[in-house]
Amino acid sequence: MPRHRHTHRIAIAASLVALITGAVACGPKGQGDTKNGAAGAPRSGGTLTVLNRQPQKEFDPARLYTSGGGNIPGLVFRTLTTRHRAAGAEGTKVVPDLATDTGKASEDAKVWTYTLKDGLKYEDGTPITSADIKYGIERSFAPELSGGAPYLRDWLVGGDTYQGPYKEKKGLDSIETPDARTIVFHLRKSEGDFPYLATSTQFAPVPKAKDTGVKYAEHPVSSGPYKVVRNEGDGRHLVLERNDQWSQDSDKERHAYPDKVDVQSGLSTEVINQRLSTGSGADAAAVTTDTNLGPAELAQIGGNKELAARVGTGHFGYTNYLAFNPKSKPFDDPKVRQAVACAINRTSVVNAAGGSSLAEPATTFLPNQATFGYTPYDPFPAGATGNPDKARELLKEAGHPDGLEITLTHSTAQDFETSPDIASAVQASLEKAGFKVKLAGLESNAYDEKVHSVQNQPDLFLAHWGADWPSGGPFLAPIFDGRQIVKDGANFNTAQLDDSGVNDEIDAINKITDHEAAAKRWGALDQKIGEQALVVPLFHPVYKRLVGKDVKNVVISDWTGVLDVSQVAVK
Amino acid sequence: MTQEIQQEIQENDISGARQVLRRLRARKSALAAAIVLGLLVLFALAAPLLAAWEGQDPTTYHDGLVNSAAGGVPLGSFGGVSAEHWLGVEPGTGRDVFVRLCYGARVSLVVALGATVVQVVVGVALGITAALGNRLADSVIGHLTDVLVALPFLAFAVALTAVVPADFPRPVLLVLVIGLLNGVGGLARLVRAQTLSLKKLDYVSAARLAGGSSWRIARRELLPALAAPVITYAAVLLPSNIVMEAGMSFLGVGVKPPTPSWGQMLSTATTWFRADPMYVVLPALLLFVTTLVFTVLGDALRTALDPREASRLRVGRAGRAGRRKESAI
Repeated sequence: MPRHRHTHRIAIAASLVALITGAVACGPKGQGDTKNGAAGAPRSGGTLTVLNRQPQKEFDPARLYTSGGGNIPGLVFRTLTTRHRAAGAEGTKVVPDLATDTGKASEDAKVWTYTLKDGLKYEDGTPITSADIKYGIERSFAPELSGGAPYLRDWLVGGDTYQGPYKEKKGLDSIETPDARTIVFHLRKSEGDFPYLATSTQFAPVPKAKDTGVKYAEHPVSSGPYKVVRNEGDGRHLVLERNDQWSQDSDKERHAYPDKVDVQSGLSTEVINQRLSTGSGADAAAVTTDTNLGPAELAQIGGNKELAARVGTGHFGYTNYLAFNPKSKPFDDPKVRQAVACAINRTSVVNAAGGSSLAEPATTFLPNQATFGYTPYDPFPAGATGNPDKARELLKEAGHPDGLEITLTHSTAQDFETSPDIASAVQASLEKAGFKVKLAGLESNAYDEKVHSVQNQPDLFLAHWGADWPSGGPFLAPIFDGRQIVKDGANFNTAQLDDSGVNDEIDAINKITDHEAAAKRWGALDQKIGEQALVVPLFHPVYKRLVGKDVKNVVISDWTGVLDVSQVAVK
Repeated sequence: MTQEIQQEIQENDISGARQVLRRLRARKSALAAAIVLGLLVLFALAAPLLAAWEGQDPTTYHDGLVNSAAGGVPLGSFGGVSAEHWLGVEPGTGRDVFVRLCYGARVSLVVALGATVVQVVVGVALGITAALGNRLADSVIGHLTDVLVALPFLAFAVALTAVVPADFPRPVLLVLVIGLLNGVGGLARLVRAQTLSLKKLDYVSAARLAGGSSWRIARRELLPALAAPVITYAAVLLPSNIVMEAGMSFLGVGVKPPTPSWGQMLSTATTWFRADPMYVVLPALLLFVTTLVFTVLGDALRTALDPREASRLRVGRAGRAGRRKESAI
């Protein structure tokens, strides 16, 4: 059931994106500044240290689940297209990488054709061919190499049954390679976002002769500026060195200033932030690709100018929201849902999420970035601190003049997402409006299971969503497309909305290959759905990360919201 | 035994309790600890009154009192201390710290005391049964206490609280989980060992020869002799129970928010200890004082219950010697 996997994986992706593409950011908030505290132009040389919590357990391009090719993996694997390594909104664009353009689509966006650049080589000097890209994609269908995003299986003709090149040597007919530089994809439905998918590591070339199956991760053949020279302790310690076959001429996106990248993982949040702020020895040239600053650390840094200058700010398209089960009482009544929407005090909620530097109040489901189709709207305007009087009135109209007892389900994980702090803030604002709110805190695995099960779904719970690439489609479709309701698995359409108008519009927009035109329609669709109060958007998180004092050229795109490790210089 | 003798024993018991109290009063440290404990209990009992006096409540958010842009750190010095908020406000939420500490004392004290009662009752029952019962009972209880002692408490407690229905009252659940899992094994072993050695003493043998049942011997002969070690052990368990409650709150399986508890406050505070030290110091200080008070009281009680120490206490000079011994500890 690809549909089930599909939706489930996206949610995982949302968190993985933060982990894998994660990186330190620097430069004043919202200015798209590409410079940081360290003065002078970036130069080649030196060793960049990366201090992380999560080990890079997976390094097989078939198994990596990344947004835009990931951060560390993006140094080793080049893909057909990639994310633009630029600061701010410019960085949400998809640009050619191995290919000469972002793809030529047929009229209905079902056939996509790519041509490879000239003179592309692997780390061993052999040329990269279109057949290698086809082979790399086919590998990701092998059951033993699962883990990547589910889209290829869903989109490619015959993808739903293909078992990978080890079992089916013939390969996948829907990927054609008429010559060594051309590759053609045949999709079973229109997908205007195909160039975004082509940024994922499954689109990295894998030379068939060097493929060692599940062992390939130990020494993947590099097409990017760095090659893996050491991988110890299941990805706990990675050492990358220059791949001298890579040429800057064919790669406009990556810079590769440092000679060596040393990735150390398995550290705690406190240790990472302490080492980055102290910056002694190699830590002066260190960044992190997965660790944010928390509210307390931010408060502490606030008083220190030198440290504050080393904090980078990033925006990753993400929304934290309250989800209703509109199929159950009392939330089957739109008036009750509207009352909740009006009662929410977003100032309190934002404070509980770490304050205005770490969260921005949200009234739209789409993240506040143009690339998603962000259209500002507030269907139930109640001001920054909520409007309990109006909420009371709505409750009265709904037939609950004496208030209403409800249960809010949350997780007990201290993650500033679905954590008890956020739940308590929501509870406090709802109680002002006459609701009596019981909190039901669940251990995070139990919580995930419960909220994504159609049978056991709570009436009201804290939820969050991020997309696999910066576009309205992967943000709205899994949550509001009626055909994506999964009755017996992990369901993400928790409003269980099955509206033919919405479904048809999703199909229609998927046919559009002009990203801006599509974004406008996604924005309009978001507004149309938002008026039904199926969810109450709470906030969009903001990432704050520290870099070492010798780190230069910090670029934070809105695609990842975190520093791009391919741009960093330490000299 | 005739009614007359029973009467006499009861009178002896009463005068024994009085003696213990008198001995306790004679120790200044115990007296001070008792006074502080009394204040803490009063602090917990009078929480609503204290809240009304300050004009605050434990759950109201004050968005304007925290610096939202700086991670939600309280505005003003010492964690936002002001005429309205005597001990400042909580970072992130702006809730009043003083009132939350008052209400938090209720959770910490009730859970810790309740759990200690459970531990003592269950531990003593298991220990005596093992020592006086047949071989099967001893071996079953022996294995049970082995398991209890070896059990990773927090992991097991978290698992247990996760499977219990959400409607089950949390404080009761905490009392039961902490009471039955934390320290019971050790206490049962201690009681069993003590009972086994007491059993061999002449007066117990005499009682047995006189035809006393196991139950009667346990109640009349053993329990009074066990009181001292058990109370000492309980005095160690009590502060550990407070810490356990804090630990479970830390892991999010303690009392439900927004009910405050010291443990919960401390767990939030751990990340704030640099940016807002007051928020850490206050619950930590209260926790420390409570733990200290119980430890001092427990120790004093042990001394007062110990007949050898007691005889020294009764004689003025030896009493000082007893105190000197305490300070050496």
